[in-house]
Amino acid sequence: MLKRFLMETDWEQVKTVIRALDRVEILEVPGLEDRIERLGIELNSAGFDRWGLHPDTLRKFAPYLYFLYKKYFRVETAGIEKIPEGRVLFIGNHGGQVPLDAMMAGLALFIEGEPPRVARAMVERWVPTVPFVSSLFTRIGAMVGDPMNCRELLQHDQSVMVFPEGVRGSGKLFKDRYQLQRFGTGFMRLALETGTPIVPVAIIGTEETYPSVFNFELLAKAVGAPYFPVTPFFPLLGPLGLLPLPSKITVRFGEPLRFEGDPGESEESIRAKVQTVKDALQEEIHKGLKLRGENIFTGAAK
Amino acid sequence: MKILITGASGAIARLVAGALSPKYELTGVDPRPAPSETHFPGKFVVADYHSRKLDEIFRNDRFDAVMHLGRIRESQKYSPQYRFQMNVVGTQKLLDLCKVGGVKNLIILSTYHVYGAHKLNSLSLTESAPLRASQSFPELADAVELDHAAVNFMWREREIRTSILRPTNVIGKHVRNTICSLLRSGVCPRVFGFDPLMQFVDEKDLARALILALENPIPGVFNVGGEGVIALSHAIRRAEAVSVPIPPLVSASFVRLLSEMSGIPFPPYLVEYFKYPTVVNDDAFRKAFGYVPKVKTTTSLRNLGPISERPRLALSSLDESV
Repeated sequence: MLKRFLMETDWEQVKTVIRALDRVEILEVPGLEDRIERLGIELNSAGFDRWGLHPDTLRKFAPYLYFLYKKYFRVETAGIEKIPEGRVLFIGNHGGQVPLDAMMAGLALFIEGEPPRVARAMVERWVPTVPFVSSLFTRIGAMVGDPMNCRELLQHDQSVMVFPEGVRGSGKLFKDRYQLQRFGTGFMRLALETGTPIVPVAIIGTEETYPSVFNFELLAKAVGAPYFPVTPFFPLLGPLGLLPLPSKITVRFGEPLRFEGDPGESEESIRAKVQTVKDALQEEIHKGLKLRGENIFTGAAK
Repeated sequence: MKILITGASGAIARLVAGALSPKYELTGVDPRPAPSETHFPGKFVVADYHSRKLDEIFRNDRFDAVMHLGRIRESQKYSPQYRFQMNVVGTQKLLDLCKVGGVKNLIILSTYHVYGAHKLNSLSLTESAPLRASQSFPELADAVELDHAAVNFMWREREIRTSILRPTNVIGKHVRNTICSLLRSGVCPRVFGFDPLMQFVDEKDLARALILALENPIPGVFNVGGEGVIALSHAIRRAEAVSVPIPPLVSASFVRLLSEMSGIPFPPYLVEYFKYPTVVNDDAFRKAFGYVPKVKTTTSLRNLGPISERPRLALSSLDESV
């Protein structure tokens, strides 16, 4: 069976495909070195920062990430000039099975932010167990969404990106897209403790990249993942089904929100403050969806 | 001032003793004979820490300070029972003797391994982080118990100023621990798909840290790191070794086989440390003692070289500032 498969495979065709992949346009990020310089990260002799960020890895992957950003998802931003100076806690909506949202919002801040900044994304607790992804994420500034990590980053004046929906958000089904799931409240206590302004980030488009119609929980449990999405293309089309749909992505930064209070407040009053953030984010999402129009791929109106 | 140093045959103790020798009166004790006795600048006694010989040492001399650097590391050479006897029972005995003998300062060398490699570890473990090591790695239970005994003693016996140091991976020309042996061997296994952040502290920096703790005692538990983090693969490359990725599912048994065949020690628990980061935060130590590591991680990795058997240990080997 395998022999027949190998004999019948048209190797010339495979080669053509590989050659075509080779021709994928490599885009240089404009002013990459200057932007990395202006991030103001302190590196040790091995080229790592205190939390494992490694600008050399960023340099290596920048052209591919920029291709995704500019050509594949054609990312546009709005309100990026509203971001206050200094450390900021970015609160975003989560969806689409794969953290493309964190990646695209992070790239927006790095490529279009003035000054450019790294927003350290707080990722799911199962990420460290995923081969390759775990180390790549660390190199480009992400880390496990642990309150200790978040506190330390904010105390060292670093910006942090949090998705308070967690896996409830990333694993959400297509029918629930852009409906914010229950928010965790930990981020608000940390914002109060460190006096950090909150900026809601509505990421439009990523929630359609992997339209999950069904969460195969049994399989998820078997492989140790929090969810296992079934889309019209995955796993039906195999690895090809892993390609995200090229929807148009918009990253909208909302008005900065500042909160005051005691980080040890009762859960009830913290929840009220969290609701304020959630409402602001949901409003920003609605605005973005309205502006995008009906066609998710081009963003054009009907 | 009279100082007792345990683990006196070890590289760190010899470095520390070399730096302290003209100024203080030193006694060294180690179950292993000294590589060459003349190199310990002071009295040297071969004794197990749980033996009666230790009582004798304390009866003959009155020590002002004790540096407990002698922890038998986990390796195939010693059985877990022997390590428990030495590390836990021995330490317990040493602590009792310190109390009876009127010791004023006590410095205990623990290890960052006590935190355990775990996927839930934060990227900056402070001294209050849970010690998970014994939960996943019974081989490390004695190290955790030693640390617990030391911390208990610190709280119970307030009149003795006790500092407990938990250094990251110690590397250096004279150090003979697992990580150094692996890096020196030229071939270092890695878990396929994983490349955790590691921290290394140079032997000289650790010796400096120990002397800081001796001369300006501040009770407490402190992580001691080097310059910062480096990914394991980068560390291997910097040490001019080749990494061999091993599939994660077979790694434990495969590694045991490999280490038996090649003679290079690779305790199974290390697989986890090569998978998940165990990064500690040493801000507390830096702040309390004004400690700044002086040797760059890349430099100490590059200069690892073949083991240096007979270090010329003089004050100059650390530098003038000590």
